[in-house]
This record gives sequence, structure tokens and C-alpha cells, in this order.
Amino acid sequence: MADYPVVTEGSDGPLPRPDRASGATAPAPGPAWDGPTYYGRAQLKPAPFENGVVGGYIFLAGLSGSSAILGALADATRGTEAGPLVRRARYTALLAPTLGSALLIYDLHTPTRFINMLRVAKATSPMSIGTWILMGFSGCAILTAAAQFAGDRGLAPRVAGPLARFAGWPAALLGAGLSTYTAALLSATSTPLWAAAPRALAVRFGASSVASGAAALALAEPPGPMRRRLETVTAAALAVELAGDASAALTYRRKGVAAATDGPAGWAGKAGAVGLGVVLPLGLYAARRWLDRTGRAPEESRALPVVAGLAVLAGSALLRISVMETGDESAARPDVSFRFSQPGNLPPSG
Amino acid sequence: MHPRASDFPQSDLPGVIPHEAELTAGVRIEPGRSYGFFTDTTVCIGCKACEVACKEWNNLPADNLGLTGHSFDNTGALSANSWRHVAFIERSGCGGVRDTVEAPFQSGWLMMSDVCKHCHNAPCLEACPTGALFKTEFDTVVVQQDICNGCGYCVPACPFGVVDVSTLDGKAHKCTLCYDRLKGGLEPACAKACPTDSIQFGEFPVLHARAEERVAALHARGVPGAYLYGTPGAPGATGDLGHLNAFFLLTERPEAYNLPAAPTRPANRVAPSLTAGLAAVAGLALAAAFLLGASDRERA
Repeated sequence: MADYPVVTEGSDGPLPRPDRASGATAPAPGPAWDGPTYYGRAQLKPAPFENGVVGGYIFLAGLSGSSAILGALADATRGTEAGPLVRRARYTALLAPTLGSALLIYDLHTPTRFINMLRVAKATSPMSIGTWILMGFSGCAILTAAAQFAGDRGLAPRVAGPLARFAGWPAALLGAGLSTYTAALLSATSTPLWAAAPRALAVRFGASSVASGAAALALAEPPGPMRRRLETVTAAALAVELAGDASAALTYRRKGVAAATDGPAGWAGKAGAVGLGVVLPLGLYAARRWLDRTGRAPEESRALPVVAGLAVLAGSALLRISVMETGDESAARPDVSFRFSQPGNLPPSG
Repeated sequence: MHPRASDFPQSDLPGVIPHEAELTAGVRIEPGRSYGFFTDTTVCIGCKACEVACKEWNNLPADNLGLTGHSFDNTGALSANSWRHVAFIERSGCGGVRDTVEAPFQSGWLMMSDVCKHCHNAPCLEACPTGALFKTEFDTVVVQQDICNGCGYCVPACPFGVVDVSTLDGKAHKCTLCYDRLKGGLEPACAKACPTDSIQFGEFPVLHARAEERVAALHARGVPGAYLYGTPGAPGATGDLGHLNAFFLLTERPEAYNLPAAPTRPANRVAPSLTAGLAAVAGLALAAAFLLGASDRERA
């Protein structure tokens, strides 16, 4: 709410006010900026997205896209041996077309016009690029899953298998786009924290997507060498994500927007997305490796990979939601936005 | 006075005067040319006639029925319902105590009528996934209300915090530079209402030349801090945004007016982000292909 008196006579209460729209609640200029501000009001408007909803979509998009990639790769490298894994991957890839799309439509302020997203295709708008990636991915993923389902039920077995494999490859290619375009969507705005480190954010989102996909498939996989392989893929993706986290943190400090990550949302990101979602599972996988090497029985570490997998999934979702929350905070704080829009942060002119 | 003005002596006109902007702003509005505002803050008196005229003409709902405590600014910010916003800055001496002797200029008051900048490379337009935002034949940026689905992506895209999604109808709203009036040959309502010509409407190149003259005149008259914001190469027109069709003459650093010193064009970040993300995923997919295909002995 606004920090000044509001006339609330009448039954309807006040009309929406610019302050609510601009999110101007923090009057004092913060540590990032020692110059003037306009009464501490926000210079930018935070995105009117519901962070839980859109963050949830970004998580599901990454999970589905990466599942399609891993399913196609497992099918190509292992064939029938990885049959159950491939089936689960193909069904997991349905999360984005179904629940994910529903979340996106729910977040529109005029949901009945969701179809207008298909009016144009624009290379300058990652939301438009993403719409078409999601459309293409949905088609391929649904076809793959349908063929898988038909094959499992013994319907048209000679067609179903090849069709699932055939549609699985474009699904995997578009899945790579689905796993990463959401970072471009956030970076191609004027919100300081999203705009400050476009490359690092994309690496974080992409690697987190692969980690979540591999972790989800590993959780469903019975213990054995295939599960170990998926966990190694998870660990590799987490290592890349950690490098992206470090790179992003350094860039935020260099560009003067790190102050926006010091709030509760920022700490949720640091503790939840990085600590719980990356460092903890990496440590658990390393601990299990150590247990194996010292010759302990594998039964002792049965709970360990489950905890690690769940932590990866939770961390991946938290990463997206905390990035959205901290971005909103950076836009609502004039100290951060003015610091970010100094000439020193301009890209080298070309 | 424009020579055609004598053709319309009556106060109760039968209809719209053809090319009325010629009489009121000295410019004939024709499609294919680039129109904008030159807002000269040094002659703004903070009367808010522009805000009122804008609300009246565009039928915008009232908002902010309270006092902000921020000088005379009770509008606060540009929003879905306020497309002109007069900012008030009270410059005073040490410790908040007013100087007893003021420089011979505006007595420490700064006022600026803020508006959508109608950027040359408009980030809101480039972000819009439905094509609701478009460039008009007058080189202005307008939201088509029958297309917008309220995705809200234009809101964080704008480097000036102008565009806003209305909670009343769930669509994005901002200044249209009175697109309907321009079509009818009238100058925008705010510029027509401005009593001091702080808001000047016209063709961008003409306004730019006029503004450069005004800056030179102010420098000569002892206001060395006067500069343009949003003209090619000036602050506000940085980072590949191109120029701003609605530009300003300021006498204090941009942040004092709640303007960014060096905004950038968000669309330039699409390619680096997509490339980096796809490279990371491709690398991990390659690693996954090797790891998934590895024999059991290697992995044991």
C-alpha cells in the first residue's frame, strides 16, 4: 500500500493508484546510489507478473524441455535398454504444453485473448520467440507421448516406435530453446537485475533446466547403473549452474545492482537456489561417491540420492522465483535502477 | 497569428477546423512524418493543465485522490490512467533551509511534465508479443486496445517506467500522442492546453533545431546547466534506443527528474542471452550423450 493517506470515502474504496502500479514503497535511497532520486520513488515499473505462476512455468518449461532432450539422447544411445526411462521422459515433457501453458494463460491480465500471442512472430521479443518454441515443442512432445502411449498399448506397434523417435528429435531441439528462452525473456527488459547479466542468467537457467530434468528422471529410475548415469548428468549440470551463479554474482557487483539481492528474496535465492539446489546435492553426490569408494554397502545411501534429487527440483523452482522477485525489487528501488543506468554500464558502442 | 486564423472568427465553431494544428502549433500533420514533443522544463509553471487536458480528451479514470507529501506532485508517476505527470522538485539551500538569495532563474523550483518518450527503437513495441503496440504513420508508439491481452511484458521493457497495465480492464495503457487527434489534424491535447508553451508539438527535426536554439539562448542568458535529454547523442538517447520523439530540456541531472541517465535497448540482449543459454544446454546435452552411452564398467 501507499505510504501516505488515502481518501477512502465511498463504498468502492480508492481507484488503483500510480503508487501501487509503480511499486514505490521504499522512500530512502539505498546504498547503491548517492545521487538524487525523485522522492525515493521507483524510476521503473516492476513486471506485473505473478512470480509464483510465471516462475512455476519457467521451472516446468525447463523440466519438460530437458526431459525431451534426455529422453531422445537415452533412446539414441541405449535403445530398448532405456525403455522405461525414455517413456517417463516423454511423459514428463508434457508438463510444459499442459500445466505450463495453463499457468501462462492464467497470468495474462486478459486471458480470453491468449490466442493473440499467435498473431505475430517477432525476433526482438523473447516472449514471441518463446510462444512459437512452446507451440512447436507442444506439438512434437504431444506426438511423441501419444506414439509412446500407442506403442505401450500395442496399437500400431510398427508405426508408434519410429514415430515417437522421429518426433522426439525436434522436441529435443525445441526443448533446448524452451529451457533457455525464459532467461532471454527476463534479460530483454529494463529491470536492472535481469538486464545486468544476460549471459550468466541464461547459463543458470539452462543448466538448472538440465539438472531438474535429469534429477526428475533419476528419482523415478530404479537403483542401478542407469540411475547413476542420470545423477552424473545432474551433477555436471549443477556444476555449470554453480559457475553461472558465481559469474552472475560477480557481474551484479561490478554493475552495482548487487544491493537488490540483499533482501529476503535475494537470500531465498542464495540459500534456496544455490545452497539447497546446487551445493547440497553436489555435496551429497560427492559423499555417496566417497561412501562407495570406502566400500560401504549401497543400502546405507539409499535415501541420499532421493534427498539430492528433490533438492535439485526445489532449487530449480526457487531459482526462477527468486530471480523474478529480486528483479522486481531492483526495478522498484530507484537507487539500484539509477546506479544501473549510469553511462559506465552502457555496452561498448558498435 | 496564423493567417488562416481570421477565417474562423466565431467562438462556436460548426466543426473541426481543417488542419487545426497549423493554427495552434504551426505545423500541418501529415502521415509519414515524425512527430513528437519538445518539453522545455525551464518555462513549466506546474499548472498541470496538460494532465487535465490529457485526462479529459482520453477519458482516463481518476486516480490518486490523496496527497503524496511530495511537493505539489500528487499524481506521483505515469500510470495506466495518467499519461502526463508533472514532477515538482524543490531545490533548496543547506539542510533543507531555502536560500534567501536565489539565482535569477525559477527560484529553486524545477517542474517537468513527463510523458511517454515515443522512443525511436521503442522497447515496449519490440517486446510486445501480440503486435498490439505499433509504430503509427506519425512515428509514434501506440497500444491497440482491441489486440492487447495484458501479458504485461511491455511494462518491464520500458526503460522509463511509462507503460502500465490497468487493473480496471487488464490492458496496457500509455500516451498515444493523441493518435486520434493527429488523424484529425489537431495537435495533442496537452500541448494545446499548455499555457507557457513548455510542451511544444511538432515535427521532430523542427523541434530539435528549436530546442538547440533554446539551449544556446539559455547558456547565453546565464543558465549553463541547460541541456537536452533524448535528442540524438544526448543523455536518454543512449544504448541504441535512437532518439526520443518526446524529448526534454533539463537544467538538473536526469535522476532528479526520475529519468535514467543512460537507458539501453533491451532487444539487444536477446541474442547474447539465447546464444549463451543454448551453448550451455548443448554442451550439457553432449556430456549427457557421452555419460548415458558410457558402458557400465566405466560408470561403476
